[in-house]
Amino acid sequence: MHPFEDRIDRLLSMPPYGQPPEERQAGLLEILKEELDYACQRHAGYKNYVRHWPKDYRSAAQVADLPFLPVGILKANPPLSFVSPGEIKRTLTSSATTSQVPSRVVLDAPTARRMTKGIVAIVRDFIGPARRPYLVVDTPGFLGGGNELGARGAAIQGLQPFANETTHCLSLSEQGGLMLDRDRLREFARDRQDTELLVYGFTFILWKHLVEPLLAEGICLNLREARILHSGGWKRLQDQAVDKTVFNEQLAHVFGCSPERIIDFYGMVESVGVIYPDCSAGNKHGPVFGDVIVRNPLTLEPVAAGEHGIVQVCSVLPTSFPGHLLLTEDMAQVIAYDGCPCGRRGISFRFAGRIPKAELRGCGNLESKRSPMD
Amino acid sequence: MTELTHTVHSPAEISTAATKLRQAVLDAEISPNEVMTVFDSWAKSLDVREFDDLPGIVFLRMWLRRGTLEPIIARELGSNGLHGGWTEYGRAKCKAFPLGVVGHWPAGNVEIQPILSMTCALLGGNAALVRIPSGLVDLTRVLMEKLVQSDPGERLTRRIFMAAFEHGRRDLQEAMAQVVDGAMIWGGEEAVLQIRALPFPHWARVAVFGPRISVAAMDAGAWGNPDEQKSWCVRMARDVWQFDQQACSSPQVLYLEKGAGRSTAQFLSNLQRAFETENQAHPRRTIPAALTSKICQARASWLLNDAAHQAVFPMGPDWTLLFGSGSDLPPPIQGKTLTVLEVDNLLDPVSKFDGNVQTLGLGMADPEKERKLAWLAGKRGVDRIVKLGRMHVFVPPWDGVDLIRPMVRMVRHVCSTD
Repeated sequence: MHPFEDRIDRLLSMPPYGQPPEERQAGLLEILKEELDYACQRHAGYKNYVRHWPKDYRSAAQVADLPFLPVGILKANPPLSFVSPGEIKRTLTSSATTSQVPSRVVLDAPTARRMTKGIVAIVRDFIGPARRPYLVVDTPGFLGGGNELGARGAAIQGLQPFANETTHCLSLSEQGGLMLDRDRLREFARDRQDTELLVYGFTFILWKHLVEPLLAEGICLNLREARILHSGGWKRLQDQAVDKTVFNEQLAHVFGCSPERIIDFYGMVESVGVIYPDCSAGNKHGPVFGDVIVRNPLTLEPVAAGEHGIVQVCSVLPTSFPGHLLLTEDMAQVIAYDGCPCGRRGISFRFAGRIPKAELRGCGNLESKRSPMD
Repeated sequence: MTELTHTVHSPAEISTAATKLRQAVLDAEISPNEVMTVFDSWAKSLDVREFDDLPGIVFLRMWLRRGTLEPIIARELGSNGLHGGWTEYGRAKCKAFPLGVVGHWPAGNVEIQPILSMTCALLGGNAALVRIPSGLVDLTRVLMEKLVQSDPGERLTRRIFMAAFEHGRRDLQEAMAQVVDGAMIWGGEEAVLQIRALPFPHWARVAVFGPRISVAAMDAGAWGNPDEQKSWCVRMARDVWQFDQQACSSPQVLYLEKGAGRSTAQFLSNLQRAFETENQAHPRRTIPAALTSKICQARASWLLNDAAHQAVFPMGPDWTLLFGSGSDLPPPIQGKTLTVLEVDNLLDPVSKFDGNVQTLGLGMADPEKERKLAWLAGKRGVDRIVKLGRMHVFVPPWDGVDLIRPMVRMVRHVCSTD
């Protein structure tokens, strides 16, 4: 047992958004430094990276000075690991929609345990602690077996602690495509007009396989107490010209609930145990066991409030792989460094999509090798 | 004042412009000497303090000077080519005539390339129809305004039409291709393949300057010489800084040949200092987030993948030096990220080149070794072998091709009365 484990557990037991930013920074900085020490002992390459970082992490005065890794580094195969193969309990894989190559992160038992606790702490802050009927807008077989779990599966499973019963309302067609199982949905919705419910689906899947078919048939489920969580990003819906307002209105319409009961959250398998739900002011927040830094692409320094930059996620939860300080491939705008109207302390920010792809049109941009010359 | 840059919306605008340009070529012949007179005056008008920070301006001023261009014309068009005359070759005489309207598709990453490409066609007596990449419209307009002032008689400017339109406007790209007699195409693989596939007339001459990368190499006698080490490092840094290391002539890797008992530590320290100095003098004003991400990825991969690897970089993405050993050509990162690799023998990496390497920048103390390297590099597809610090000097042949001659017709006359 490492000394920092106790302190991580203490953070996990605190209200996730109650600590003043300075206090949180100081606590995180101390633990992250110890985690860096630990990681350097476990991985020669990682130690080499940290050793070459322009600022010595041991004397760093803020989390922003600590050596972060670009998230793409987690696409390595075999995955980067700080634990022996025998200690690995599970491997999470990202959806890899952009690059085709998925990230793979390994979880040992303590990291897996913290992952569950982290998600529970965050979600509880948004929907309360009660267990309730859980409707998964996906197929029952999606979680699969074995030790590998994808992003969709991880999200579905992460909400399981809030369920007292679980229903999956999609099934696979003969061609292998997703289709709405109307009987199961009807069964789930029966007599639950006033029951507190939890619904989760990937954003695009919710739209394509539940909202669109029900809208087309003019069906309203009359589940006014449903809490609907979704994640997975907006790119595929933007391609269909469906923005967040339209999405929320139509989704609320088919469930018969208020749009305020819909929560979009951002999560990435690489940042295990931390998700970023929208608050009532439409912003996202970092929990007490993590933080978010938005960096100016020109300087990599944190941006001022109101400015856009590249998102770095910080979390003290993972200790089995280098996931504690990750520069993502997403952009965000910092709304404020404290004082969100929702009452949550610390940074509030909004995602602004993926980093735009660089255009490869220059005379120095080689995309393919030539045939060998001999 | 004549406006040379136009935002184009329809194919008809391009067709009309081409008709006028062709007429201008037919109306009056212009010799390279006359073109150079205007260029010389243009170069002087660009030599003002307010332009000092414009990207590529130092090079453009130098390129437009008579002293730079005269020897190029003499070599490419013959000894009498300067005044548009006939040059004797035995019993025959040859003279360069323009193709007509030359279309230019410059790359978006080299700021002054629309202008450089255009000047090549004008020196051959042609008219120039130039597509300006979206990001270069403002800079090109500023520079071209000075040309207009330097050419009150419009001898040159009536031969120029610069068209600004989105890369994705296939209809405008096709309209441009259909009206030209020659084309100069620059850029990355995707862009070059798209442009080359446009419906050019069957007679159109097409010169393609496709994507390449460049490499630097030094022998131990050069990098190990304490008197010259700093100056080599400054040259290296300058070659990396130009065009944000995104040009085909930008060095992506520096090979250092090991020397018995010599450590590269002092050289690398001087190289770091040269990068810091160059960065202070020419800091980046902006950067695409994708490039920042790529630079961070390169730093991390390099150090994580091999604990023996070393690197130096500041907190920001300003520049990066990656140190290691091995003769394989690492993938180009760009954004002022130079991989420095120690090798036993410089012939080893050069023998692995696959034709994608355009320029080999050399810092050598051993002339015999340099001769061997130059021969091997030429054999392995390298088109330019130059001294470090001069990797971007735009002198033909470029990519193994002349710059003016491909856009002229060399007419041969064997006199019947002799």
